Amino acid sequence: MSPATVLPGRARGAGPSAPVARPGRRERRPLWLMLPGLALLGLVVVLPFGLAVWMGFLDLDQYTLRDWLGAPFIGLANFTEALTTSTMPHSLWLSVTFALLTTAVAAPIGLVAALTVNGRVPARGLVRSLYLVPYVIPQFATGSLWQMLLQPDGAVNKVLRAFGLEGSNEWLIGPPAFWALVAVDVWASWAFIYLMALAGLQTISTELYEAADLDGVTWRQKVRYVVLPQLRGPLSLGLILSTLQHFNNFTLPFVLFGSPAPEAVNVLPVNIYQTSFQVFRFGLGSAMSVLALIILAIPAWIYLRSVRLDAKPQEAGA
Amino acid sequence: MSRRGVSGRGVSRRGVSRRDAQAVLPARLNGVLIALILAFAMVPILFMVLMSVTPDSDIAGGTVWPSHLALDNYVRMWDTVALGSGLANSVLVAAVSAVVATVFAVGAAYCLTRFTFVGRRPYLAVLVFLQSVPQVLLLLPLFMVFSSAATYLGLPLVGTRLALIVAYLTFALPLATWVMVTYFRKVPESLEEAGLLDGLSRFGTLWRIVVPLSWPGMVVALVFSFLVGWNDVVIASVLSHPDTRTAAVDLQVFGHSIEGGAIPQYGQLMGASVLCSIPVVALYLGFQRYLVSGLTAGSDKG
Repeated sequence: MSPATVLPGRARGAGPSAPVARPGRRERRPLWLMLPGLALLGLVVVLPFGLAVWMGFLDLDQYTLRDWLGAPFIGLANFTEALTTSTMPHSLWLSVTFALLTTAVAAPIGLVAALTVNGRVPARGLVRSLYLVPYVIPQFATGSLWQMLLQPDGAVNKVLRAFGLEGSNEWLIGPPAFWALVAVDVWASWAFIYLMALAGLQTISTELYEAADLDGVTWRQKVRYVVLPQLRGPLSLGLILSTLQHFNNFTLPFVLFGSPAPEAVNVLPVNIYQTSFQVFRFGLGSAMSVLALIILAIPAWIYLRSVRLDAKPQEAGA
Repeated sequence: MSRRGVSGRGVSRRGVSRRDAQAVLPARLNGVLIALILAFAMVPILFMVLMSVTPDSDIAGGTVWPSHLALDNYVRMWDTVALGSGLANSVLVAAVSAVVATVFAVGAAYCLTRFTFVGRRPYLAVLVFLQSVPQVLLLLPLFMVFSSAATYLGLPLVGTRLALIVAYLTFALPLATWVMVTYFRKVPESLEEAGLLDGLSRFGTLWRIVVPLSWPGMVVALVFSFLVGWNDVVIASVLSHPDTRTAAVDLQVFGHSIEGGAIPQYGQLMGASVLCSIPVVALYLGFQRYLVSGLTAGSDKG
């Protein structure tokens, strides 16, 4: 008998709250299985994190790089520069507004999209797949595509002018670049909210809708009083994650606008990249990275709290 | 309430015969909205495909419909960009890091879901936290580690494929581990107890019982870790040399080199973009059922 055939009966019999006989204490736990991952994480995450902090205190550039352990120690100078005279505050402000704005625009699209395919509609599987395409194609391809569309005589301006609007010759270089970035990122990422909302919709029981139908509510009331309250959990989590993803997005602005980026779209990840690898101010770049991490820790902490971090299947029932 | 089982949902849905209770929006509005959203999502994609078979002179002239099918865009692009070596590098680097990440993840996730030990919760927290950290923040210190290996150990790593693989593991390993953690939680331990009673070791139950039951989770872990490398631009643009470059960087460099030209080769750029997107879209369509659950794995809530 294969293990798979045992699964359903056993699984249901155990149930979430059924006491599970713990194997004896004497058994040997193969904790060595953790070691490869642990060692690798230490090498590629913990060590670099430590380095990043240390480098933030050094006057490190391309000249001192080769022997960077001997680079002059300058205390908090990099950090104060990052927070005062550098372009970081501007970039931070840009990134925050960009992340919040993009999420705010993408959320209703994703929510409506989820509502349209939760019921039975023709070719539902195909529609669901097509909804995902802009989200799953690589962002460097998205960037290349929109870089072409946003050229001064590109398709975006053609469409806008067909509707009597003025368009812009500066989508990729001037102040309108910010709006171009918002629009493209919304196009590329609304499906994430859609997925979260759809997953949430599928946990709403049919009885709830049927009860609403019996009460003779309109579809607006159904959305307002049945769907939205039930979606609060998955949607708020989706909004946090989506904001983080937009804040962290490097690929799209980098491919769309190149580096150095126009001032209007010099978002924090691009700025850190440029400071580090094109201006070669490694110390300043490190300081910026550390500061960005501290700022990111706030939404990340909210995210961590909303994720079920630690529950064995049996403990979850308690 | 929110932890309603899959089977329960299926039964209740089948029970509805006359009306579709799950359809909230009025049918006509629903149809209009689907059409609008599909247009919003797919018109740019179709345009990308169309422009990939449009002669460059047409695009420069501002056409929306090609004068003739320029399928040779798909032939010439291999010479214009180093696409062959780029794709080979992308596949190699992404695949190796995906396999390593998944193998390590299975072992780690098994321990994290089956045993309690000191540091388990912090480890889980780090896994989740790392997924909200932008790659560029770790890139600079990683670059320092690699260039120090050259300076102090005589190991030139920057520019090698090994450096890329290790760098991708920074993000692929936590991701794959978290995917496997959420998956292993759903595999009932009662199955393993049967194995333990029959005299299997813990490793034996993992290898003979848990792993064969978990291949959907491992597919998700593999695909997502693969995409970390395949979709990356920032790491490869710093840690690779021209001959170890991935397709993503090739495309980004190509895109910016053609902007100033007299007749920009957008047809070829779109051709290359379509080509790089096809494997990803195919993976998603092929494994949609599993991958979609994995996309929201980070949000696995109790």
